[in-house]
Amino acid sequence: MWLVDYRDLIWNLTISDLKVKYQSSVLGFAWSLLNPLLMMLVLYFVFINVFRLDQENFALYLLIGIIVWRFLANGTTMAMGSIVGRPGLVTKLYIPRQILVMSSVLSSFISSILEFAVLIPLLFILGAKVTPNILFFPIVHGIYFLIVYGASLVLAAFFVYFRDLNQVWDVVMQAGFFLSPIVYPISVIPAAFLDYYMLNPMTVLIETYRRFLLYGGTPSPMGLFFLLAVGVVMVAAGALVFKRLERRFAEEI
Amino acid sequence: MNSDEAIMVEHLSKEFRIPHDRKVTVYEHIVGLLKGGNYSYERFSALDDVSFTVKRGETFGVIGPNGSGKSTLLKILAGVLYPDSGKVRVNGKIAPFLELGVGFQPDLTAKENIFLYGSIMGLTRKEIAKRYDEILDFAELRRFENMKLKNFSSGMAVRLAFATAVQTDPDILLVDEVLAVGDEAFQRKCSEKIEEIRRQGKTILIVSHALGTVQELCERCMLLKNGKILASGETGKVVEEYLRISAAGSGM
Repeated sequence: MWLVDYRDLIWNLTISDLKVKYQSSVLGFAWSLLNPLLMMLVLYFVFINVFRLDQENFALYLLIGIIVWRFLANGTTMAMGSIVGRPGLVTKLYIPRQILVMSSVLSSFISSILEFAVLIPLLFILGAKVTPNILFFPIVHGIYFLIVYGASLVLAAFFVYFRDLNQVWDVVMQAGFFLSPIVYPISVIPAAFLDYYMLNPMTVLIETYRRFLLYGGTPSPMGLFFLLAVGVVMVAAGALVFKRLERRFAEEI
Repeated sequence: MNSDEAIMVEHLSKEFRIPHDRKVTVYEHIVGLLKGGNYSYERFSALDDVSFTVKRGETFGVIGPNGSGKSTLLKILAGVLYPDSGKVRVNGKIAPFLELGVGFQPDLTAKENIFLYGSIMGLTRKEIAKRYDEILDFAELRRFENMKLKNFSSGMAVRLAFATAVQTDPDILLVDEVLAVGDEAFQRKCSEKIEEIRRQGKTILIVSHALGTVQELCERCMLLKNGKILASGETGKVVEEYLRISAAGSGM
């Protein structure tokens, strides 16, 4: 199994990815944590003052939504270029190519965990109902990893053949941001559309995080099961697509 | 597979499709379809029914003019390209030296790059840690251990790469013209290292234009042209044949 045989390589690639990412800006590591906070402030201002939204603890509500979303947006966008961005590792020697996608998603995963770590003190300061249910985080985040990894496998493989896929994906992510309950409460969705709206795994996911981080509840078993099923199916489908497209990677890069 | 054979290739063929109008984006595909969908391409046969075996402990050379399929063959052996048909069997751990320093990160230090590159070449973290001093000493870069790679000269980077790569302890070495590394003194050191690997009874497959190197190192040799084997056998004779056809070719 490549995951075990190449664990040192996966880890080294992940770490070097993170080092390069955080070294390249002046504030480095701090930027990646400031970014979601600043984004939250902007959206907070807009939605409270312009749209007169009335949502309890809106700052945290927003922040959780943003941080959850960032893992999908950053994770898939970075991973999409992980094959094309490392031509030498594809054309000059053989390593299972999933490793490149895996280590890219892992580095985004670690960044995301750090963002959540910054969120925790804010939960106390801004008056969230913090309970031991917060310990659901590793389980939910693990399931979330599967979803992002599965999507990334497909995107990275197709990106080799369609180099403007990132433009298309940008738009999809932009639409997804507003089709998920990040900046508004679910209650604004008309009842007639609610069933369809809840089919979006990101909606279920974001609501699950809010449930145990913000409201101190336990995630619904149905929701968790649904997310796990989505994650497993996406990884399986992603691996299948990747395997089919992988054969000609070295010729196309 | 017989255990004294390291590489066995049977009826290997590889064809590349070269589209007349290469489309690499969704946009180009859509535009192409609107214009009537021109998906014609030319076939280019890089390897055509190639069969040979390399014995364990042998140093085997592959020579031929540009575009003869040498690099394609090497890439198929390394597992980078998939053959269209035919069989490739490899007995043992392969180290592809198609290019040195693959995956080097200019923003990381020499030390970090040794660990990264070492693991790319198939070493475990522990193995690299054990051989770390040896690598630095061989590359003669001890003083620059914590310097970022982007501040290295290209010669220094290649030295670091070679020193790390030879630590992989492979059974089979695939080499593509990389023996010319660094300055004169370091080149000598590399040749000695390759010679040492050879004496240890490892199998080496060399693809090269440098007939001198091939004659010096290889017992047996194979001449490729347009994806076909023109001659194979004892190095001296194959090189002679190569010189004969290239003389004939330039005479036309």
